[in-house]
This record gives sequence, structure tokens and C-alpha cells, in this order.
Amino acid sequence: MLKTSTTNVVPEKKVEAKNKTKFRLTANDKYYASIFAGPSLFLLGLFTFYPMFRTLYISMFLTNTFGNTTLFVGLENYVKLVTSPDFVSSMWVTLVYVVGVTFFTIAMGLLLANLASQKLPGIAIFRTLYSVTMGVSVSVAAIFWLFIFNPSAGFFTLLTKLLHLPTVNWLSNPTMAMWAIIITTVWMHLGFVFLVFLGAIESVPTTLYEAADVEGVSKHYQFFHITLPMISPTLFFISTITIIGSFKSFGLIDLITKGGPTNATNMLVYRIYNDAFFGGNYAKSSAEAIILTIIIAFFTYLQFKFLEKKVNY
Amino acid sequence: MTKYKKMILSLILVIGVIFLGVFGNNISAQTSANNRIPVVFWHEMGGPAEKTLLKLVNDFNKSQTKYQVIPKYQGSYDTAIQKIFQTHGTNTSPAVFQSSNVSTAQVLHSGFTTPIQKFVDADNYDLSKISPVARAFHAQGGKQQAMPFNTSQPVLYYNATLLEKYGITPPSVSPTYSEITKIAKELYEKSNHQVKGMTVQIYGWLLEEAIANNGGMFTNRNDGHTGNPTKVSINNPEAIEFFKWIRENIKNGDFMDYGAGSMASTNQTSGFLTNKVGMYVQSSASMSQLNKKNKNKLGVTYFPHADGKKANGVSIGGAALWISNDKPKEIQQGAYEFIKYTVRPEVQAQWQKSTGYMALNKDSKDTKILQQFYAKHPEGKIPSQQLQNTVPNFGNSGILLEGMQSIRKLEENAMEKIYRGGDIEKTLQQNEDAINEIVYNQNRANGYK
Amino acid sequence: MSTLITNVCKQYDNNQGKTVLSNVSAEIETGEFFVIVGPSGCGKSTLLRMIAGLTEITDGEIAIDGKVVNNLPPKDRNLTMVFQSYALFPFLSVWDNVAFGLKARKHDQAEVSERVNNALKMVNLEDLKDRKPRELSGGQRQRVALARAVASDAKICLMDEPLSNLDAQLRIKMRQEIYALQRKLGITLIYVTHDQVEAMTMADHIMVLHDSKVQQIGTPTEIYKNPANEFVASFFGVPPINIMYASKVGAHSIKVNNDYQLDLDQAVTENELKVGIRPNEMIVEKAEELQSNATVQNVEFLGDEKIVHAKFNNGVMVSAIVPSDTEFDMFETVKITSTGNVLLFSQDGINITENKGGLVNA
Repeated sequence: MLKTSTTNVVPEKKVEAKNKTKFRLTANDKYYASIFAGPSLFLLGLFTFYPMFRTLYISMFLTNTFGNTTLFVGLENYVKLVTSPDFVSSMWVTLVYVVGVTFFTIAMGLLLANLASQKLPGIAIFRTLYSVTMGVSVSVAAIFWLFIFNPSAGFFTLLTKLLHLPTVNWLSNPTMAMWAIIITTVWMHLGFVFLVFLGAIESVPTTLYEAADVEGVSKHYQFFHITLPMISPTLFFISTITIIGSFKSFGLIDLITKGGPTNATNMLVYRIYNDAFFGGNYAKSSAEAIILTIIIAFFTYLQFKFLEKKVNY
Repeated sequence: MTKYKKMILSLILVIGVIFLGVFGNNISAQTSANNRIPVVFWHEMGGPAEKTLLKLVNDFNKSQTKYQVIPKYQGSYDTAIQKIFQTHGTNTSPAVFQSSNVSTAQVLHSGFTTPIQKFVDADNYDLSKISPVARAFHAQGGKQQAMPFNTSQPVLYYNATLLEKYGITPPSVSPTYSEITKIAKELYEKSNHQVKGMTVQIYGWLLEEAIANNGGMFTNRNDGHTGNPTKVSINNPEAIEFFKWIRENIKNGDFMDYGAGSMASTNQTSGFLTNKVGMYVQSSASMSQLNKKNKNKLGVTYFPHADGKKANGVSIGGAALWISNDKPKEIQQGAYEFIKYTVRPEVQAQWQKSTGYMALNKDSKDTKILQQFYAKHPEGKIPSQQLQNTVPNFGNSGILLEGMQSIRKLEENAMEKIYRGGDIEKTLQQNEDAINEIVYNQNRANGYK
Repeated sequence: MSTLITNVCKQYDNNQGKTVLSNVSAEIETGEFFVIVGPSGCGKSTLLRMIAGLTEITDGEIAIDGKVVNNLPPKDRNLTMVFQSYALFPFLSVWDNVAFGLKARKHDQAEVSERVNNALKMVNLEDLKDRKPRELSGGQRQRVALARAVASDAKICLMDEPLSNLDAQLRIKMRQEIYALQRKLGITLIYVTHDQVEAMTMADHIMVLHDSKVQQIGTPTEIYKNPANEFVASFFGVPPINIMYASKVGAHSIKVNNDYQLDLDQAVTENELKVGIRPNEMIVEKAEELQSNATVQNVEFLGDEKIVHAKFNNGVMVSAIVPSDTEFDMFETVKITSTGNVLLFSQDGINITENKGGLVNA
């Protein structure tokens, strides 16, 4: 195995570049590489790539009642989708949801983490409280929030009645239903995001803040110009997983709004599920799945292209 | 010491799991060990109805010694039908299964079932005792394909106590739209806006029933009874009249909108039980539940119809029992014997009493069980009357069209938009076009002409 | 702008009231280079942080320019601070690091540019102004931290072990640069270090802290020549001073280490005492085994001179500086004596050398 390491007597700076160009796999290396990588490649192929290509294949056919591909239609399914106002509105709804969830999750997570990072007596109680949603399952959260949103006996309804405000019908008003779903999702994400942010904020060296204190920099300015840039890799990580995660949100939507009212919360993933397992239209839902994959890939690409450079200091 | 304890504990756990596996096998093996022919039965009855169904199966197994029906719960109608299609021809597939009426066309087209008519003919069984409207949904060319089982029809429920309190005349037996509007408005005004007059849930089935009850057709080719439909119509006079009625009530302020979310139905029921809304349209199967929790007197009457028309009658909802054709003859025969048992007068009577689904056997009403029940709940007779008074025709015998699950979503989409103030005809046309797109594509994919 | 520290104490509540500083007093004059020195854990960084306002004062008073600052936040004390870790912002360029505080305080754009550019020029970092801290060497990072202090225009600069992360060569260079900078800017520099060489080479005045108490405050010469006690004496000088037991044998003579007799200029007042002899006052001669009183253990070659580590026959170790042309081998027997230029301490370590004491602060 030592064959690959070339001994260099060149100036130190050039060592790295030199190694890169001279790196070649010997037959022996390839043998070992295939032994190590083989099993995982096999599993990946079986459970990831095969279903992916199968989805792509199905999306170019029509499927009958039993889900079998019967008629090749090329890109017809795609053309119909992107020209259908229903599907386009679903994309918009998804976008609003993803942006809303990502923004509020990060804003709330940062706020709470920043508060909880203060050294105050009793702060440990709040740290536990803020992170408690991490242990709550989707179904429990849905029941809990459905109770809160209930139009006749819900917490919000009682509150508005108490304050003599007009009652908001959370789940039958399209705008409010979107808010309800966003609030619930943010609440679900918050525990984890809070903990990660708290960890990141705590690991910022205190001398940076002390240096700023001595220079007369306000706490507010310190947060935006020291804390935020210092935890930017974490911000990047959280925003990436929150965006991808909310694109894939399913359970809460299924349990709380079922995509309604008037499709106001009918996100792409929920639509895919409904078309396939409820409507039995596998071809359409495969095409939708491919479109969703492309959208997520596009977002992830954008993030890496524009954000990653800025966060690696 | 504690180390040993831990080890012993985990050892016990492992052994326990192994034992469970061994015994579990034995238990399931026992059922087929007593020389009876096993008949696997897939059903989708959850909650209290499941309890009643399991008792029914148990009673059947006790009533004879040849067959052993093994009931297996499969979740919701929509996921169950997918499982039935995917397992057909394997040894996990059921011998007899319950399938929602919505999927009737799909099951018929699949060719996976043996028509029940074959066994009826061989047995010389008299089908005329079974409700003709219910039978019509599952018959093709006069031949019975499946046996209706849990059957319901939409009815109008009203809070009789509230109406009495405000001195309002309750609706007549087969009310018109304007009659209901009048009562709803009165109730709303007389209760000082504390009680909303009525609600109609955003539920595609109710729109289909409104079309049927007013003599319209949902699809061409006589709702699929004379060939596979190629066109759906929801922008028709019957639907427009139905929505105009709802819109008038919305305008009057007496209409309660519970939305289309997963909780709409629950909220609606609790609204009715807590005097927040006075009247609503729902499946007759809700009755047992409404009777159990209601502090008020429950009023029931027929599904409303448009003014100046005679009600055509509503078609049935619920599910039917089918016999799979991938099992040996004697198992299929066992499935038939079980189905025959389920429609016995006293079995159906007990079924109606416990679940709220309607007894399909004409003789059921004369049984002691229902006689006693009606004495206590006279309003319980109404749905059965509605069912019996309906003369079957193509319009009220159900819709034989595939893909009804997705189509209903679009119907509901239209209903919701109209409830929120969308133009009735424009909205109906938009969703009709979208539905016809689905119908066109599924016919193309399945090769139907 | 003198800084006055009066009876300052520090106790931490959470550490069973452990005293970190007790009754520390000092006056730091405007424009001077003041070094606080002591072994690790002596409380010197705490004292600096208290001056900066980053750590609360338990008792006593700190006044800057006649104004008590005990309850003032750091920003209102008009000072700047250089941290041991430099506290550079890794995501900002050199230029932005220096400009950070100025920008935050909303200084005029042109003024910020001018001050930052001047500061960078002063520390010779103009060419590297667009680099990120990770692209700089340790010394360059140190200079960025200095430039930040320079740009802030504060009249007092606090430094907390600024050179401890650098290698020996660089430390010497940066020592000179910091000193030159302080002189050039005329600022008051309060400098914390554990390195006595830094203290000796740079300070106008040195405060020696040990066991949470001030041991001595004085100029480097005073500290070296007239240490207040045994601790101060042994803290300064490389190799450290040799401390040995001695006993009175005459009015003006003592016997060192129960070994050789030493005649002194001053009168010996106590019977039992300690004597401190700098290594360069030790005399090492080759001797036959019978005449010898010590054995060479180790010889360090330093260029112009050598350090001989030897062990007296009774086991006490001493170090001596000898010219580098003298030859001593390991385990060679030698005779060790000393000149009369020695320090005398009482048995509990207080300097009792005559005519030389003057500044005794402990």
C-alpha cells in the first residue's frame, strides 16, 4: 500500500500539488477499494438508484389501475403538470411554506439560543424547555396543535374570545391554514435547531466579545457582526437541512390540513402521495417526484454555490 | 452482582422473544388445524363497527363446522384496495374482501372476482329480499357481482329539541331546499345568532348524491351502467341548484363552514351535538354515534331536493363484499356461505342497531331486534324508509367510474371554492375539465374505449 | 491619565470564596510601560481584566485619571486591550479586523480609513491588509491585534500575555516592536506576562504578583538589585539566583551552605539566615577530590559563557556562569566559592541586605 506515497524532496509548498497529480490507483488498490466500497455501493444501487431510475421510467408512461406502465407518452406527464394551474399553485404553496418555515425556524432558533446562552441563574430550565420539542413525535404535535386551532374549543379561539377579537378559523381559511402549518412545523423543528445553535453560539470564543466590549461595540452590533458570522457554518447547515426537510414535510400536513383548504397547503410531497396512493395515478406522481427532486437539487446547488464560500472562513 | 442481574435480565428477554415467536406460530397454525376450510376475510371496519363485525364473524364460525372465516383489518378503504390488487394471485390474498363502493368500477374491471350471481344461481337463493337500490350498484347486466354489506345513505339530521324550543316546525319527510333554508334562517334569527341553521360538509359524495337525488347523471353512459364513462359532468343544472341553495344560506348568515381539513367531520359532529349548528347532511351510518352522545332529541329526514321536483332518491354509500377468483372452489364456496350469512334478516338487524348502517334485508324490520330499537328510536326508521322508497334507476344506483378518489378531491376543491365565494358555474366548469382530463387519461392508460 | 489601584480585592463566590487578589495597590503613571508579572495563577490576568472592566471588583477601587471606574462598563474606560489569543475575527480581512471597533462606533468613513491605514503602516502590515487571519503567521496575527489597539486611539492599552503563543525568536522581535510602538505613541501600556525577561527588558515599572499579593513594585534595576524578598530574587535572572542556607560565623562573616566562609561588608545580624548568590557571582575552580566541595552535574554551552550545574557534597544544587573557554566535564570534582556580592534574607525570606534595601513594598 505504500506504493502510492511518493517521496518528495521538493520545497514544502509544492508537496500538496505534486501529490495530487501523481496520485494513481494501482491494481492492488482497486481490489481493496472495491471490497470496501462494494457492499455500500450495492445497497445504494438497490435502494436508491434503482428506485430513482424506475421513477424516471414510470414518469414517461401512463399507468393503469394496477400501477402498471401501459402507454409510453414521453414528456407528456411533465408538460401537463407544468401547464396545470393546480400543480403550479402547489409549487408556489410549497415555496411559500419552505421560505416561511426556514425563515421563522432560523429566526426563532437564533433568538432562543441567544437568550439561553446568557449566563443567568436558572437558565438551564429554559434550555430544557426550548429543546423539549425534539422529543415530540409528529402525531403528538399534530393532536396538540389541532386542539389549539380547534374553531370552537381551541386555545386560540378562547384567547380571541377573551380579548373580544374576531375568531380566526385557522384551518378553513387558506391564509391562516398556511400559517397554522408553518407555525406547527417551526415548533417541531425548533428544539433541534435551538440546540444546534446554542452549541454553536457557546463555542464562539468569549475573548471576541470581550474585545468588542472593550472597543465599545453594542451587544446588538456584536450579535449581528460577531455571533452571526462566527456561527455561519452552522447557519448554513441548518438552513440547508431545514429547506430540504420542509420540502419533504408530510406528516403534519396529512394530519392537520390534508392539503386543504382549497389546496392552500397542498405541498408537492403531499400531492405526490395523494396521486399515487390515494388516486392510484403512479405515472403522474412519478413525474411530480422527479420535478420535486430537481427543485431540491437546484436549491441545494444554489446554496452551495452562493453560501458555502461565504461561510468557510 | 448488578452485572449478573443485567445479564440474566437480558437473557430472559431474549428467551422470551424466542418463545413468543414459537408460540405465535403455534397460535396461527391452530386455526387451520381443526379441519375447517380457512376463508381469509379482509375488511376495513375500524372502531366500534369492527367489534360488531368480529362478533358477526365469530357467530358465523359457530353456526357451522365446515368453514373458518379469518378476519383481517386492512386500514382505510383506499389503501386496502391497492393492497388487494397488488396481492391478487399470491397466497396472502384474501378469499373474500370488503371494498368501498367508490372502487366498484375498478374491482369490476380487474377481473379478479367471481360474480356472486354464480353461487346465487347454484344455490337458488332469493335475492329479491335484498334492497334493490343497494343491489343495483353492484350488478352488471342484471347479474349480481358483489353483495352490498355495510350500506348507508345520506340523510338530513336536525336538532329536534332546539327546533321545539324556538317553536319552529320540523322539516317534512322529503324536504325541499327552500324548506330547509327557511328553517335554517328561522333558527339562526330566533336563537339570536347563537345557533347556525345548517351546514353541508365539503365532501364529494354529497355533491354526487345531490345530482342523483334531483335526477341528474354524474357521467355519460348512464353513470357507467351501460359502458365505461368517457365524460363527467358536474357543471349541470342539478349541481348548480344545489350550490345556489348553499350560497343562499351562506348569504343569510345561517350557514356554518367547517372547512375541508381532516377535522372538518369531527368538528361538524361536535358542533351539532353542542348546539352550534341545527341541521346537517351526513351518512345514515352516523346515527348510532349521534344517538349515543346526544343530550338533545335527534331528528332525521330525507336528503333534501330542489323545489318543484320529486326526489329521485339517493344512491348508497358504504362497501360491498366480493369473492376473489384466485382461490380453490371450496374456499370460494365458503366465502359465499359467509356472505349469505351476513345478509340474514336478524344479522342485518343487529348490524343496523349496533353500527347505524342500514339493514338490507326486507325482513329485518320485522325482527325483534329492530322492533325494539324502533320503539326506542322512532327516527331510526327514516333511513330505511328512504332506502326502501327509492325506485332504482341509472341515476341513483351509484357511479361506476374508476379513479373516484382523485375525482372526489376535485369535486371537493370546487365545493370549497364555491363556499368561499367563487363563481358557481366557472368553478364547476374548471373542475369538470380537470376531472375529464383524469377520465381521459385513465381510459387511455387502461385501454378502455 | 494615571491609573490608581487602591486595595483591590477579588473573591469568586462559586469557589468557596477563594481569594484571587488581596489588597493590591499601585499607581501607574501616564505614558509608562507597566508590567505585571508573576507565575501562573497569581491573579495577574484577573487584575488586568478588572482594570479593563471585564471582571467585577470585589473590594477596593480603581481610578483612571482621577475618576473611579469600578462601575463603568469597559467601553467607557477609554482603553484598549490585546488578548493572548489575539481575538481576531476569522471571517474578516486584516483591514476589517482593525476597523471593526471604529465602524461599530459609527466613526466617519474617511476617519476610519485613515486611522486603520496608519495603524497598519505602523505595524508594517499594509501589504497584507486583504488577507484573512488564517492566512497569516503567528507574528503577523499579533501585529493585527496591535494595529487594532493602535487604531482605537485609546490612551491606555492593556495586553494579556500577548507574546506567549509565539516562538522564541519572534518573541524577541515582537518585544522590541511593542516597546518601540509604546514609546512612539506615548500611550500607557499595562502588560501582563509570566516571563520575567519580557518584564525586565520592556518595563518602566514592574509589579511582581505572587500568592494573590503584591511582592514588589519597582524599576527593573531595583527589582533585580534589591528584590524585596526571596521570591522576587529567584523569579528574576537566568539561570535563577542560588538560594542557600548560611550561618553566622563572625560579625562580618557567614558560612555558606555549611561549606565555605564568606566575608561581607555589612554586619551580620542574625545567626541563621539565607543567602542569595547570582550565578555570575559564583566561582568555580578545578580541584582534587580531597580539596573539592562539589561535583559537576551538567554543563550548558551558551556561546560567550557556560552554565555549570553542580552539586555540593551535601546535596544542594547550584548554578554558576563561567567563561566559555574554561573546561569542565561532567562528574568532575570542583571547588565552588563566591564573591562577596550577595543578598541576605531572613529565614522567612525577607531581604535584610544592608544599604541596598529602600523599596520594600511587601
